[in-house]
Amino acid sequence: MRSPLASLVGFHLRERRRSPLAWGLPLGAMSAFIVAIYPSVQGALTKVVAQYPEGLKQAFGIGQLSSVEQYLHGEMLSLIVPLAVGYLAARAVASNLSGAAESGRLEVVLSAPVTRRAVCVGAFLAAAVEVAAVLLLTLVLSLLGSLVAGAGLGVGHALAGFAAVWPLALVGAGLAIVVSGFSLKTSVVTGVVAGFLVAMYVVDLIGKLDTNLSGIRYASIFRYYGNAIEEGIEAPAFLGLLALAALLVLLGAALVERRDLSL
Amino acid sequence: MAAAIETERLSKLYPGGHGIAELTMTVPSGEVFGFLGPNGAGKTTTIRTLLDLIHPTSGSARLLGLDSRRDSVAIRRRVGNLPGDFGFGRETTGRRALELLARLRGAGTERAAELAGRFRADLDRPLGELSRGNRQKVGLILASFHRPDLLVLDEPTGGLDPMMQEEFLALVGEERDRGATVFLSSHELDEVERICDRVGIVRAGRLIAVERVPELLGRARRKVTVRFADPGGAEELRRLAGVSDVEAADGAVSFHFGGDLDPVVKALAAHHVADLEVSRPTLEEVFLGYYEGEEGAG
Repeated sequence: MRSPLASLVGFHLRERRRSPLAWGLPLGAMSAFIVAIYPSVQGALTKVVAQYPEGLKQAFGIGQLSSVEQYLHGEMLSLIVPLAVGYLAARAVASNLSGAAESGRLEVVLSAPVTRRAVCVGAFLAAAVEVAAVLLLTLVLSLLGSLVAGAGLGVGHALAGFAAVWPLALVGAGLAIVVSGFSLKTSVVTGVVAGFLVAMYVVDLIGKLDTNLSGIRYASIFRYYGNAIEEGIEAPAFLGLLALAALLVLLGAALVERRDLSL
Repeated sequence: MAAAIETERLSKLYPGGHGIAELTMTVPSGEVFGFLGPNGAGKTTTIRTLLDLIHPTSGSARLLGLDSRRDSVAIRRRVGNLPGDFGFGRETTGRRALELLARLRGAGTERAAELAGRFRADLDRPLGELSRGNRQKVGLILASFHRPDLLVLDEPTGGLDPMMQEEFLALVGEERDRGATVFLSSHELDEVERICDRVGIVRAGRLIAVERVPELLGRARRKVTVRFADPGGAEELRRLAGVSDVEAADGAVSFHFGGDLDPVVKALAAHHVADLEVSRPTLEEVFLGYYEGEEGAG
C-alpha cells in the first residue's frame, strides 16, 4: 500500500502531466534557438558587447560572450528561465492547494485521513518533480540545438546551469505554501511569488550595478543562484537554497495547519 | 456506545457576523439526523467545524468518541463527507478521484463500483463535463464507498432527479441498518420526513430546536382551504386559537393553523363542508413555526 504522501504526489503529477511539455517545450525551443544561432552571431556579438558599459555587462552577466555557455546564461539562464520556472513552481503548488480549495478538491481530500502537512509536502514534492522535468526537457532541447548547429555547448556546463535553477524554483514553491497559509486564492499565491522573484532579481541587479550597494545582494536568492553554467554549481549555495525551500515548506505547512479551510 | 456526534457550546464566530454560536447537541450512534435551516443559518459551518476543516472559536466537539481537533485524522478514517457544492477539479474524472481517496483510506473500490451502478454514475468522464446531479452522484460515492461509521452529507440530493433521490433514500436506510450514523443538512422536507429520526433546526447560527420528525411536522403551521355548502364559517374560524390569515373568496375559506386541531374540526363540523384541503407544510412554514415560537419565548 502506498503512503498517503506518495499517493498525493502521484495524483498531483498525473493531474499536471501536461505541464512539463507545456512549459518545457517553449522554454527548450527558445533555449535551443539561442544555442543554435550562437555560431553565426558570435563575431557580431563580440563587437556589440565590447561597446557595452562594463557595469551593464556585469549586471546582466553578459561577460565577453566568448562562449556559447556565456551566451546561454546571458540570454536565458540569468533571468528568463529562473523567473519562468520559479513561477511555474508556485503555480504547481497553488494548483494543489489554493486551486484545490477553489475547486472543492481540498475539502474532499482533507475529509480523508490525511494531515494538512502531508498535503503541503505532497504539493511541494510534486512541484519539485514537475520543475525538474521542465528543466530536463529544456536542457535536452538546448543540447540538441547545440548538436544540430555545432555550437559546442558542454554537457556538464549545461547540466550545471539548468540544475542550479532547481533549488531557486523550489524556494518559489516553498514561498507559495507560506502564502497559502494566509490566502487560498490562486491569484494571490502566484502573484506574491512572482513579485518576490522579480524583487529578488532587482535587489541582486542593484547590488551588481552599484558597488556601494553590493552588500544587499546577500539578501537576494539570485546572489546564491549565481552563474553555474560558467562557474559550476556552488554546493553551499545550492544546498542553502534547498534548505531555505525546506524551511519555507515547514513554515507554510504549520500556517496551513492553523488556518480555516475557507477562501 | 459513544455518541456519534457530541458538541458542547461549539462556536465559530466570523468578523462578518455569520457562524455558529454555542451549539450543543448529541446525535446517538445509528441515528439519521437532519440539520435544517435556511441559507446562511450555519449548517455548513457546523459540518466543517465538526470535520476540523475550520477551527472553532470556542467550545468542543467529539465525533465517534474522539476529539474533533486532536483526533481529527483518526476521526476522518471513519467518516464519509459530501460537501455542499461537491467538486474535485474540472478535468479530474470520478475514477481518478476515487483511486486517490481509496489509497488515502486504504480501502477497496468494489463498493464504489456497485454504487456507481446503482446511481448510474459515470466515473470516467471529467467532472467538469457532468451536470450538477451527475457530479453529486460521484460525490455520494466518494463519501460512502468505504462504509464509514458516520456519514456527513451537506445538501445531498441537490440536483438529483426523483429516481436518484429514491435511490439515495434507500442508501441512507441501508447505512442506518448496518449501524452507521447519518448527519445530513437539507432543504427538502419530504426527504427529512422520510429518512430522519430527529432533526435539529438552526437559525442565525443557533440551534433552536431538536425534535423527532412527527413533532416537527405537528408544530408546523398548515394551510387549510375549506369550501362550505352553506354560507358563513369564516368569522367563526377567525375566533379560534391558532388560526390566522383567514381569507374568504369565491365560496372558499383559506387559513393557516397551528397547534391543536380539534377545535378547528369541531368548528368545521357545524357546517356542511363541500370540500376540504389540508396542505403539507413547506420547510419555510416549519421554520416559521419554530422561529415564531422562539421569538415568543424570547
